[in-house]
Amino acid sequence: MRAEGKPQEEGYAGPRWVPYLMVAPAMTFLAIFTFYPLANLVYLSFFRYNLISDKVFVGLTNYRNLLFVKKDFLQALENTVVYSFAVVFFTILLAILFALWLEKDSWFNRFIQKSMFTPYLIAMVSTAYIWSWIFDVNSGLLNAALALIDVSPLRWLNDSSLAIWCIVIVSVWKSLGYYLLIVLASLKSIPREIIEAAELDNTPWLRKFVRIILPMISPQIFFLLITITISSFRVFDSVQVMTNGGPGNATDVLVTYVHRYAFQMNMRVGYASAAGSVLLFILMVLTIFYFRFLGRKVHYQ
Amino acid sequence: MAKIEFQNIHKSFGTTKVIENLNLTLEDGKFNVLVGPSGCGKTTLLRIIAGIGPATSGRILLDGVDISNVPPGQRGVAMVFQSYAIYPMMTVRQNIEFGLKNNRVPKAERERRISEVSQIVGLEPYLGRKPSQLSGGQRQRVALARAMVKEPTVFLMDEPLSNLDAKLRAAMRSELVQLHKQLQTTFVYVTHDQVEAMAMGDCIILMDQGRIMQQSDPETMYRDPDNIFTAQFIGTPPTNILGLESESFKLGFRPEAISLSVNPAPDKAFTHRVSILTREMLGAETLYKLRLRNGQEVMARLTDSSLMVGDELYLQVDEENLYFFDSEGNRVRKTLSQQYGAMLERVTRSHES
Repeated sequence: MRAEGKPQEEGYAGPRWVPYLMVAPAMTFLAIFTFYPLANLVYLSFFRYNLISDKVFVGLTNYRNLLFVKKDFLQALENTVVYSFAVVFFTILLAILFALWLEKDSWFNRFIQKSMFTPYLIAMVSTAYIWSWIFDVNSGLLNAALALIDVSPLRWLNDSSLAIWCIVIVSVWKSLGYYLLIVLASLKSIPREIIEAAELDNTPWLRKFVRIILPMISPQIFFLLITITISSFRVFDSVQVMTNGGPGNATDVLVTYVHRYAFQMNMRVGYASAAGSVLLFILMVLTIFYFRFLGRKVHYQ
Repeated sequence: MAKIEFQNIHKSFGTTKVIENLNLTLEDGKFNVLVGPSGCGKTTLLRIIAGIGPATSGRILLDGVDISNVPPGQRGVAMVFQSYAIYPMMTVRQNIEFGLKNNRVPKAERERRISEVSQIVGLEPYLGRKPSQLSGGQRQRVALARAMVKEPTVFLMDEPLSNLDAKLRAAMRSELVQLHKQLQTTFVYVTHDQVEAMAMGDCIILMDQGRIMQQSDPETMYRDPDNIFTAQFIGTPPTNILGLESESFKLGFRPEAISLSVNPAPDKAFTHRVSILTREMLGAETLYKLRLRNGQEVMARLTDSSLMVGDELYLQVDEENLYFFDSEGNRVRKTLSQQYGAMLERVTRSHES
């Protein structure tokens, strides 16, 4: 709470153009590497173009093909949505559960916390290769473990209904340590007196969590919700390495779809741009949705 | 209504011992004030009663029943925190109601208690508001209401007024005293402010470094201190303590017990020539800093504001206002000690030398 009065206008008093000059390098960078590609992406989506031939304006044909003619885009979209929801749900759930477990400061807990953070530091491609081996049907660790308890081996990445979940597991495993750290920090930022007041109010454990702790960490959870969703919609390298979108189209996601059409299948850049534009649109809608609707229910201290 | 007993309480944080072998009884229905400098262990004791910071060893009894292992929520105590610790995401009503719901108090009963309590503390118009929409004083009342509504046997308060401005603090002080009269339950109130302790408490427990220096009513605490610490902690400015040349004992007298005169009166127990170093006019009273001939300085608090810096006068104190302390800082009382007479004799003659 600030004291009322006129807003502070002290500080800078020089020429007006100086601040613009100072942000110019950053703005130039953004313009070249962010704003121009974004605009160009949308622009290209209205053309037939393969990087070599002349651009041919085709209007909304690319979008019609994408959404109503070809089936594979909707399949990729569905996979992405399933993948994202699963990753968001399990990451946040596990991050909260582990954070509650690791909240107490001890030698053992610090060790576990650091161990769980390590996967976050490994490159995604390496992680994906390691897990490809773990999931391997013949020589993989998981099937070996299943054999020990006399369960018939599973086909993991080769099973079209299981493959997407394998990728979910890898993503959650890799980033859990990082998100856990954020939840843990927010748990520790809850004033101790509030928890003690709840204890004096004879609050049962679950009720204390739902009514006190969860609302108190909701700003951070809200932040995680946005960042994990957005990063999940952009998933690429793990899928590319572990399944390359297969088996069939079972793990094809939006970015692998764009990549395949833009750089592998006859360089259909215009068509891929249309798919990319759809992805861009979804991410924008999601972000607006989160800020508009969920933001209201979040308790900010 | 409850009597609280601490038995052989020890408390350490890591390797730091805060309280060692403390025994204390807080009487039923009294307004008990735990007072002392920061780090003296007063809040630690309060948290032991509440059960949110259990003792390392020892027992805590509530009406003769050992509650050392009873969870905080089932002890029948309520606490007002220094930071209020109001649940920020709940409305005032939800804050007050939360504990009742946890204890499965029926709805009709809850409604009755909430309206009763919110009327007492004057929160009725604000029941639907969130804490962020309340002023500091109103938040304080929410914290109070949340404690009162549970109808606890013991009220614990941890410096509840320290975040309020001076005017509001004075108002809340008398309101809390009234509340205590009304509820007739045991209050345990923690503060570092001796004025607050004196103004509010029926029974003051003065602590220092984890030990109890004196436990008594405010009157006794002021007039009959057990030791130098008590004499200096209670009262402003603190009691003057003088060491006498080639004596191991110490002499104390309050700034307000001093009289200053141009000519020494013969019937005073302690007389000493002084000069005035500084003068602070406070309104009804004036504070003078005086220097004795041997270089020691004392404070005097007089209604006479006519004396000026540089004046040379006689400082005099009546016998009943002199306190003697042994080399450990403990009081040597007239009724209890034969040394007293000898000490008085030395002091009375000290100005002649």
